[in-house]
Amino acid sequence: MNMKYALYLGCATPVKALKYEISARNVAKRLGIELVDLPEFGCCGFPVKSMDRFAALLMAARNLALAEERGLDIIGLCTGCISTLAEARVQLEDETLREKVNEKLKTLGAAEYRLGVSVKHFARFLHEDYGLDALRREIGAPLESLKFGIHYGCHYAKPSHAHDCFDDPSNPVSLDKLIQGAGAKTIDYPEKNLCCGLTIRGAAEDLSMNLAGEKLDALTNRGADAMVVACPSCCIAYENNQQLVGRKMGKEFNLPVLYFTQVIGRALGLTDEELAFEFNRIKFHPAAR
Amino acid sequence: MNDELIDGEQLKCCFHCGKCTSGCEVNRIDPSFQPHRLLHLIGMGALDELINGDAIWKCTTCFTCSERCPQRIAVTDIFWSLRALAFRSCPTSGLLSAQKSALFKTGRLYPATVLDHKKREKAGLPALSENATLVSRIFDAAKADR
Repeated sequence: MNMKYALYLGCATPVKALKYEISARNVAKRLGIELVDLPEFGCCGFPVKSMDRFAALLMAARNLALAEERGLDIIGLCTGCISTLAEARVQLEDETLREKVNEKLKTLGAAEYRLGVSVKHFARFLHEDYGLDALRREIGAPLESLKFGIHYGCHYAKPSHAHDCFDDPSNPVSLDKLIQGAGAKTIDYPEKNLCCGLTIRGAAEDLSMNLAGEKLDALTNRGADAMVVACPSCCIAYENNQQLVGRKMGKEFNLPVLYFTQVIGRALGLTDEELAFEFNRIKFHPAAR
Repeated sequence: MNDELIDGEQLKCCFHCGKCTSGCEVNRIDPSFQPHRLLHLIGMGALDELINGDAIWKCTTCFTCSERCPQRIAVTDIFWSLRALAFRSCPTSGLLSAQKSALFKTGRLYPATVLDHKKREKAGLPALSENATLVSRIFDAAKADR
């Protein structure tokens, strides 16, 4: 298997989620997956969709073309970025639109896009390409006594056509399987598909907090050792804002929020430092439970 | 309906079944937010009312409505288009101004501070490249022949 990929970091992960970036890089390294940084990568286009849909598509296309120029497929960590790039990839299958986009890319001095790049979230890649069986063989320290609540994030498997329908958009399972592969239990809960609410924090703060609070409450009540996430924005909603949300609901939450890469890394035997646990605001002390 | 951002033909397929609304998490918490009614308003030509109102900003863009639509209408995308129309009619309006300013000044929605750069260096992570003018150049290119 070709194990060399372009790492699409986006703008939130490298600034707001060092624990995600560090643990993902170390898990990839441990599994022999080479992640290449392309300094030319720019904004994925997601935040621009609300301002100019065509400009957003140009931004995504420019990134796809950059990876294609290097002959690399894209692996990403932020579900928003990956969904935006993957959706652009599908939109650009339309030849007329692609020609129009490529003309603009040319005026920007960028390479043209020729449909030769695949775009996957790192979790999807592990599940689908690296493979669950191969991953299980690497697990040296299975997390047998732990119980996690998985939060996928809306853009992890949606819109489903952009992600080649790799997982069920209304009841995704791939991350559960990865975490189970690491030896832990995952919680099946009706709130699993709820949005973290972060995208409407500015416009509708109460709604946003309510959404985050429902899930924190559900997982706390079910005795989760931690919530497991796969997107830096979702982590901000559940970890950085956890106290605020609790205050709003009149509850005191103390639910650690871990990135899936930290959980898998732990089961692979990586150290706390390699998984950047020092950056987790709500400390994860499974041994004390 | 004569705006290139919203596909009127696609909207005509809506038979107002309300499946988008019944699956909407925002609607569950705030029943005044009803995606199927917003689609209906577009069809009625009430674009001004929509782009000047609060409703279009309550969508979390979770895509649940788009997935549920039996007519495969990309409902979430329509909300993005409505926001883009609102932005075009008033680019300085409050909600997007902070995002716009960060994107146009730094090329990033989450700009990196001096401290962020230091933290990365300390953690042995690659330096972040500066591509500050990229977003504004792309906007200009997108606008050029509109």
